[in-house]
Amino acid sequence: MITSMIGIALKAFLILLYATFVGFMFMGIIRIVTARIHRRVGPPIYQPILDTIKLLSKKSNITHGLIYDFGVLYALGATILALMFIPLGSISILRAYGDLILITFLLEIPMLGIMFAAMSSGNPWAGLGSQRALLTLLAVQVPLGFAIVALAEFYDTFSTYQIVMAQQTAGWSITYLPLLLAAVAYDIVLQAMFGKEPFDIMIAPGEISLGPMVEFGGKHMGILQIQHAIALFAETLFFSNIFLGGAVVTAFASSILNTLASLGILLIKQLAVLLIAIFIGAIFPRFTIDQAARFYWKWPTIIAAAGAILAAL
Amino acid sequence: MVDWRLFEPLFEFARKRSLWIVSFCTGCGGIEMPPLMTSRYDLERFGMMANPAPRMADLFLITGYVTPKTLKRIIITYELQPDPKYVMAHGSCPLNGGVYWDSYNAIKHLDKYIPVDVVIAGCMPRPEAVMDGINKIMEMIENGTADSWKRYKENYEWYKKNQDELFGEGWREREARRWIPWLMDKKEE
Repeated sequence: MITSMIGIALKAFLILLYATFVGFMFMGIIRIVTARIHRRVGPPIYQPILDTIKLLSKKSNITHGLIYDFGVLYALGATILALMFIPLGSISILRAYGDLILITFLLEIPMLGIMFAAMSSGNPWAGLGSQRALLTLLAVQVPLGFAIVALAEFYDTFSTYQIVMAQQTAGWSITYLPLLLAAVAYDIVLQAMFGKEPFDIMIAPGEISLGPMVEFGGKHMGILQIQHAIALFAETLFFSNIFLGGAVVTAFASSILNTLASLGILLIKQLAVLLIAIFIGAIFPRFTIDQAARFYWKWPTIIAAAGAILAAL
Repeated sequence: MVDWRLFEPLFEFARKRSLWIVSFCTGCGGIEMPPLMTSRYDLERFGMMANPAPRMADLFLITGYVTPKTLKRIIITYELQPDPKYVMAHGSCPLNGGVYWDSYNAIKHLDKYIPVDVVIAGCMPRPEAVMDGINKIMEMIENGTADSWKRYKENYEWYKKNQDELFGEGWREREARRWIPWLMDKKEE
């Protein structure tokens, strides 16, 4: 009993370490690929780690009260909790029926935590940015809900793990038309979740000085960098799990080799999801908030709803 | 508690390689920043990034002449930044007045009001000169001589005396009342 508990705790810790490291590498890849598209050299791939070390080693720190500190930790905690629910290969630490809905919910919670903290700082830019982030969150819900309904309708389950297992025998989700439509809608939603270009009006660096992030500095910003790294890993992992077939390798005799092979396959799929987001982000300009909301309530909603209806037929 | 002094070389390396610039470009030197940040000279190679928020900035560039009006903003922006923070002054104007040496409305010596780590002479310095200055500030961070933020704390009385001579006593409160009256009135209650 105790050894199994220690084993689970160790697994959770290793997953957390792996997710943080790969997330930081993803952040480095985002910066390098964007630089190459601009015909620049770009920073080294470990640059986000250096940034985080620098932010955490700042000698003075500014706080604006309890909610300001709490919101940052809340965002980090919610992201870690979401990560623990998502199956990584054949491992998932927490597994419950209906975790498909729970994960989609938990992946949006961090934005709320950041908003609490930003609003309590009293900075007008932070308030404006939080307002826009809330509106984006609201706009995203409709296509996201339809995409999830299409998935659940098609596989007849709300369990992420069972969806991954079903794809091992029946093939990737995107090879079926209804789920392809749902995947397209979900990928457009993912663009707003990453905070990448057509829908990055909530942070808009040149316009409202990073929006909700404007007042964070020093250790708060360092924690938010770690949170961003884990969130990047979790969001790409969730997409590759539910739409790109996940990875459960059972070809080798040794379970360690199987796990490593699954992680490798998942990494390639996650990189594909990430690169699509970077390319779209690098070539498109920014939507204003009303355009973004109108866009989300029109095209991705229609696509995802068509997917859901086709899946139900 | 962990003794963090052991990790100080790592922190110094991270500070050196990840200087975030606060985008507050005063005067004409701001026009030197686009070629530096974009594909011609690409400062992101060294981990430098233009950052709109002063709270997460490390390097403050004073790019050109300083008037009393901008000096108020410069001092407030400088004090918003968390320590350690570094200041680099572009061009002759913040150094000794430059072409505005006899102007009634330009600050001749910036380092009387805030401490400056590196000054680049020239009117205007070419991007290569700016990169040389950045190289210099990286060296100074590495060997620990970029200590302007310590000097500001130690000699705060002197800096404050100079600032008050120029703007008059209580200028911070007057400015704050002008820009964030709702917060200032709340403090009084």
